[in-house]
Amino acid sequence: MIRKIVSGLLGVLLITGFAWARTVVIATDATWPPMEFVNADKEIVGFDIDYMKAAAKEGGYQVEFKSVAWDGIFGGLEAGKYDAVCSSVTITEERKKTMDFSMPYFKVRQALVVPKESNATTLEEMTGKTVGAQIGTTGYFAIKEMEGIVAKSYDEIGLAMEDLFNGRIDGVVCDDPVAAQYALQREDYKAKLKIAAVLDTGDEYYGVAVKKGNTEVLDLINKGIQAVEEKGLANEFRAKWIGQ
Amino acid sequence: MTQEKIIIDVGDGAAIPSKKDMGLFSAWRISFCGAIVLLIYLVISRPDPYLKIVKFLPDGIIVTFQVTFFSIGLALIIGLITGLGRISRNRIANAIASTYIEVIRGIPLLVQLFYIYYALGRFVRVPDMVAAVIAMSVCYGAYMGEVFRAGIESIDKGQTEAARSLGFNRTQTMFYVILPQAWRTILPPVGNEFIALLKDTSLVSILAVADLLRRGREFAAESFAYFETYTIIALIYLLITLLLSKLVSIMEDRLNYYGKF
Repeated sequence: MIRKIVSGLLGVLLITGFAWARTVVIATDATWPPMEFVNADKEIVGFDIDYMKAAAKEGGYQVEFKSVAWDGIFGGLEAGKYDAVCSSVTITEERKKTMDFSMPYFKVRQALVVPKESNATTLEEMTGKTVGAQIGTTGYFAIKEMEGIVAKSYDEIGLAMEDLFNGRIDGVVCDDPVAAQYALQREDYKAKLKIAAVLDTGDEYYGVAVKKGNTEVLDLINKGIQAVEEKGLANEFRAKWIGQ
Repeated sequence: MTQEKIIIDVGDGAAIPSKKDMGLFSAWRISFCGAIVLLIYLVISRPDPYLKIVKFLPDGIIVTFQVTFFSIGLALIIGLITGLGRISRNRIANAIASTYIEVIRGIPLLVQLFYIYYALGRFVRVPDMVAAVIAMSVCYGAYMGEVFRAGIESIDKGQTEAARSLGFNRTQTMFYVILPQAWRTILPPVGNEFIALLKDTSLVSILAVADLLRRGREFAAESFAYFETYTIIALIYLLITLLLSKLVSIMEDRLNYYGKF
């Protein structure tokens, strides 16, 4: 009798399980406003989040977000702790060697934020000064490769901005929407900081990273992104989170 | 003169090797030689990425040493003052020292680091290294204060009475009679604190201080070689800690002129 009940329950679970949409667990480092951050209600929100939710709706799957620290985020992907990373990840040749990327969904450039009184207009003029960036980001790679700049890596971009605001470092390099968020939007920071330059390191494209060879999740995500792009929903999110 | 043997057992960090188990197969030797052999083997067998990692780290190791060295010096001074304050008859000094210990021991070191660097950073602009050293030594000063107090209290009252009756004043008694004897009781737990402090310097990497751990994290975040990088980091920390524990045990031997313990 018990066996019958158990197997019956299992059967029901299996059937409903198949009927439920596939849930894709997405890791994000929610310290990167306005792309992904934690709002006052402790929810993970931002451009990337809205975009992925829309992509999931279009692609017919579910998404669940998980907040993960940036410098271990790709290690967790490799270890299979989640299905994908959508956290303003720039598609680079280096990263392509260890993970697969979806089609690009957003274009950014690197921006240099400095105090208002600084005269610097290029990264070259920061020679001999200390410039901060978030650990393991393309912004940090850019300053590290620059001769004569003291590169300082922070766990979170907000801590780098705080140090810049407090005058401990001379500049911060990060993606332009994030730079704009701090230097142009935040009341206390915008009185003291400005965007000095957009670096000539070229255009960068965000993609969703999945574990190498995980075509199942990659196809789902690509299908979703494709649909979102066709419907032009991205502009809506851009207006909502980034403005003009 | 029979003096009761007192052991203050503050177990934390690599054990300081005692003379008894200095044989060929002592835990210290096994870990030390094992770590060195493993490190060399990894570097030779797979230079990419292991040799790259090892080459990437030296400036981080120097920073870790600097933070440790300055913090130990400052923490010893703070610890001595606090310890003396705790046994002082002056009520105000006593209250200050006791409150300091209670407050500092009640706040996690990580929070103290954030507090001194980011929270106070709005008012006082101390460089990252200075903030790191201050936070580490203020924290460990509180723990060492308790060790100093216990060490001083472990010296028999007769010593004080004898010194006082010979005409020493209170300060002289403390510095010429009590402390030189207490030092032998104090050294093992203080040595443990040194080792714990060295390991806890890894926490300063959150202040963007480019110490051993942060250098490793930078390497791992760029190369995605998490396993390899953190293996090397762990081995290097282990080697440094073992060397420090050896140093402390040598110091202990030197102080053991009566060959008692």
